[in-house]
Amino acid sequence: MTTVTVLKIEDLRTYFYSRSKQAFIRSVDGVSLEIEKGKALGVVGESGSGKSITALSVMGLISAGPGVISGKIGFRSDRIQKNLLQDLEDFVKLTARDGKIMDVSKDVVGWDRNTERVMQKLRGKEIAMIFQNPKSSLNSFTSVGKQITEAIRLHTSIKSQPEAKDRALTWLDRVKIDSPRLRFDNYPYGLSGGMCQRAMIAMALACEPSLLIADEPTTGLDATIQSKIVDLLAELKSELGVTTMLISHDISIISRLSDSVAVMYGGTVCDYGPAKEILSTGFESKHPYTSALLASIPSAQNIKEKGYLQAIEGEVLDTINVPAGCRFYSRCNRVTEKIRERCERHEPDLREIRSGHKVRCWLYFD
Amino acid sequence: MKHYSQIPGEISEFSDQPFWKKADAVDLAYVGYGLLIVTLVVVSYLLGSFSLLPRDPQEIDLGLMMARPGTAGHLLGTDFMGRDMLSRLIVGIQAYFLPGLLAIFIALFLGAVLGVVAGYRGGTFDTGITYFTNLVDSFPRLVLILLVVAAFKPDIYYIMLVVGFTNLPVVTSLIKGKIQFLKQKNFIEADVALGVPTSTIILKHILWHNCRSLLIIQATLGMAEAILMETSLSYLGFGVQEPTPSWGNMVQSGANYFMQGKFWPSTAPALAILFTILGFHLLGDGLNNILEGKRNT
Amino acid sequence: MKPSAIRPIALVLSRELIITVLLLLGVSFVVFIILFASPGDPFSVLLEGQLSTAEVRAGVREVMGVPRSWTTQYLSWLAGMLTGNFGTSIRMGLPVLPEVLRVGFNTLILTIGSLIITLLIAVPIALYSAVRGTDKISWPLTMFSYVISALPVFWLGYIVIYFFTHKLGLFPLAFGFSSAGQPYRWLYQLLPIFVLGVGNGTISEVIRFLRQEMGRVMAEDYIRTARAKGASVWKHSFKEGLLIPVTEIVASKIPFILGGAVIVEQVFNWPGMGRMAWQAAQDRDYPVIMGIAILAAVLVRMGSLFQSVVYVIVNPRASKE
Repeated sequence: MTTVTVLKIEDLRTYFYSRSKQAFIRSVDGVSLEIEKGKALGVVGESGSGKSITALSVMGLISAGPGVISGKIGFRSDRIQKNLLQDLEDFVKLTARDGKIMDVSKDVVGWDRNTERVMQKLRGKEIAMIFQNPKSSLNSFTSVGKQITEAIRLHTSIKSQPEAKDRALTWLDRVKIDSPRLRFDNYPYGLSGGMCQRAMIAMALACEPSLLIADEPTTGLDATIQSKIVDLLAELKSELGVTTMLISHDISIISRLSDSVAVMYGGTVCDYGPAKEILSTGFESKHPYTSALLASIPSAQNIKEKGYLQAIEGEVLDTINVPAGCRFYSRCNRVTEKIRERCERHEPDLREIRSGHKVRCWLYFD
Repeated sequence: MKHYSQIPGEISEFSDQPFWKKADAVDLAYVGYGLLIVTLVVVSYLLGSFSLLPRDPQEIDLGLMMARPGTAGHLLGTDFMGRDMLSRLIVGIQAYFLPGLLAIFIALFLGAVLGVVAGYRGGTFDTGITYFTNLVDSFPRLVLILLVVAAFKPDIYYIMLVVGFTNLPVVTSLIKGKIQFLKQKNFIEADVALGVPTSTIILKHILWHNCRSLLIIQATLGMAEAILMETSLSYLGFGVQEPTPSWGNMVQSGANYFMQGKFWPSTAPALAILFTILGFHLLGDGLNNILEGKRNT
Repeated sequence: MKPSAIRPIALVLSRELIITVLLLLGVSFVVFIILFASPGDPFSVLLEGQLSTAEVRAGVREVMGVPRSWTTQYLSWLAGMLTGNFGTSIRMGLPVLPEVLRVGFNTLILTIGSLIITLLIAVPIALYSAVRGTDKISWPLTMFSYVISALPVFWLGYIVIYFFTHKLGLFPLAFGFSSAGQPYRWLYQLLPIFVLGVGNGTISEVIRFLRQEMGRVMAEDYIRTARAKGASVWKHSFKEGLLIPVTEIVASKIPFILGGAVIVEQVFNWPGMGRMAWQAAQDRDYPVIMGIAILAAVLVRMGSLFQSVVYVIVNPRASKE
């Protein structure tokens, strides 16, 4: 059985710029990920770790400057195979000093035009994305049903409204919305958050995309509803085999849905491997950040072991002031004397320590 | 092609650039030009008040009618009666300067009072004041002024009273909006809980700290409005009368000559109006962008 | 629109209508106060003008001379107005309301035409700036709009007239609205519309407002979703980003346009409300100027009402408020 890699991100860098501080905001600073067909990749990290920006970079939805500046995004579906960042070097010139990028010259208008040309054919049809805050992510001036049929008519062979409506209703049913016929004509303000999210999922999947990106789909919803949405996504994944990229800061969500997991911190991936390995409790071969994250989940086991919730000391990395050494160094509680100097001065690269499991930490290299 | 550069060295939370580096160059240019105009206006007003003019604005010189700018002794040429253009333009400022200040004062003062009451007290006061401001907004300024002119006399101060009044809805709603914003952020609640006296809350905390840039901006726009009104009215024949110069009546009396191809008598005052109003507008907008707009990185 | 949506919309509209009526009452009161406080006692002139000739002959005037409380005066004047009796013009001797309505219609043409011109200029610039930000094209355009908004509209009028009469030789110098026999009469009638549309002084503000609103909408979550699903951003942003802001800014600028009309009608000898108001102010023709002030306020409030109507129809949530 051959495995097809649907999405392969290599060394992606997406920077923004703060005029008031005259410095770069290095939101995505060298990220590499891949997802195989039919599998789900969970991307987990705190706010500011760059996970959403990574997803938006794939979709070509970054509008602030300078935006995507280097890397490769390989996308492969049944119909298309392409590097989404093809010819990026023709539009961008980078100057680095001491290994850090300090100058960027980019033909923003030209690159945007190029991106639109490429992504227009893919968005909604090959790659679909759903967002957090489903109520505000839907157009409050049009009925929910119309928004779904719009997508259907754009991206599938169904062009007539009655047929599209049929399909939309089928999908509304599939995402477990009650009284689909009634809900079809509702406006987003008339639906609950959970229902809006279901509708968004219907809207995304009705066009049968090759890749689904879910950016914090449960954030902003009530806890019980969150659980139901995750269940729905798991069900759809096993029924339809949708290749999924799931982004969340909530590790419990990630654990219920992912085949492999990437842990992001400060704009880079620090731990990457099969879900079973990364998410298991215990210290084996894991990035200190991952272990700390797991230890801070409110779970019966954690509380039983320690008696309290372990918070991670320190503050989230400010992606403007990226340190010279390991990004997690200032908060790490597993630094040993042997590696301290290296941790402080040099950033480790992402290295495979076991088959399929990569970690960015000096503890594991020798 | 866009270029982004980072300066080497540590970036701290407090290394924000001073506002003159952070602000758009365009906005700084606007403010610069605006301040230049304000200075010219104030200086001209003073010159006019003390009659420190290059030449007598009423002095007729039929031998030198409609001379071009730069003619000997007449920096900006002469009008159709040979009177010095520059002096007449300077004196024209007298027509709107003090009345304009009156209009600004009324708009800001009454507008602030109403805005504070509406925002701070809210409830029925808010409804009543909203009704009142909507009412004032229902009248076209010029028509209302003509009504007042018909009923009373065409006195520029009466007129500026009306202008001030018609500008107050904007001020009221801006101040009310600011107060609602502060309320939302619980600043006011905190103040009250700390026992700060109401007058201090209103005068110092709300108006001075939070609203002063807003008020300054409204003052500039108000002056632009006043100039527009005064010149329009004197153009229509209701303000300052010939031979006393006002930019408006200067354009009007030069009209016939304009149609004969002799543009300068009408154009010089028109350009004065243009550049001056432009100056106040740009000043207001530039300040608005710098002080009120760009709060984010 | 579903039938079920009509009832809540009707409710909201009736509320708006009531507010409009209350405001117009306020308008009449303000006008009354101004006239009543005037030293020349124009108010009696007004009330007299409302009487028919028969009543005058019958000596009702004597009764009128008896001092009455100002409330009764106001109410009888108001009653007269509500029955269409706006009094009689001092100068022309004609009943005010029909005359004012006649010229008001001309001003309405001028107003609507110039609003269209203003929008034709402002909307493309605003949309372009909203999408592209400050770049080589949008900056000079914005600068241009500032200059246009500061130039005195009467001077612009002269320039346009000069250009068309002398350079193009299309019209003789002494022109009039109904100058018959002119080959380009329709073009001539467009001139004041063009001048008022360009020179009314609001263009830079309109551009700034529309750009700000469109920019705000473009940053909304639902537009990001539309982009992500490959849908047309313009289609989704139109209602909140263009339609509603345009009606809002148009409604709020009507007073300015009417003011500008006073001047433009002077320059072009256009027989509208503005020119009549100017004449009335000169003649102290109180009934006429009062009628025009009230009619102008009515036009302004109509614009406001129109804006509310559009808002309620477009926004599904509005009817629930």
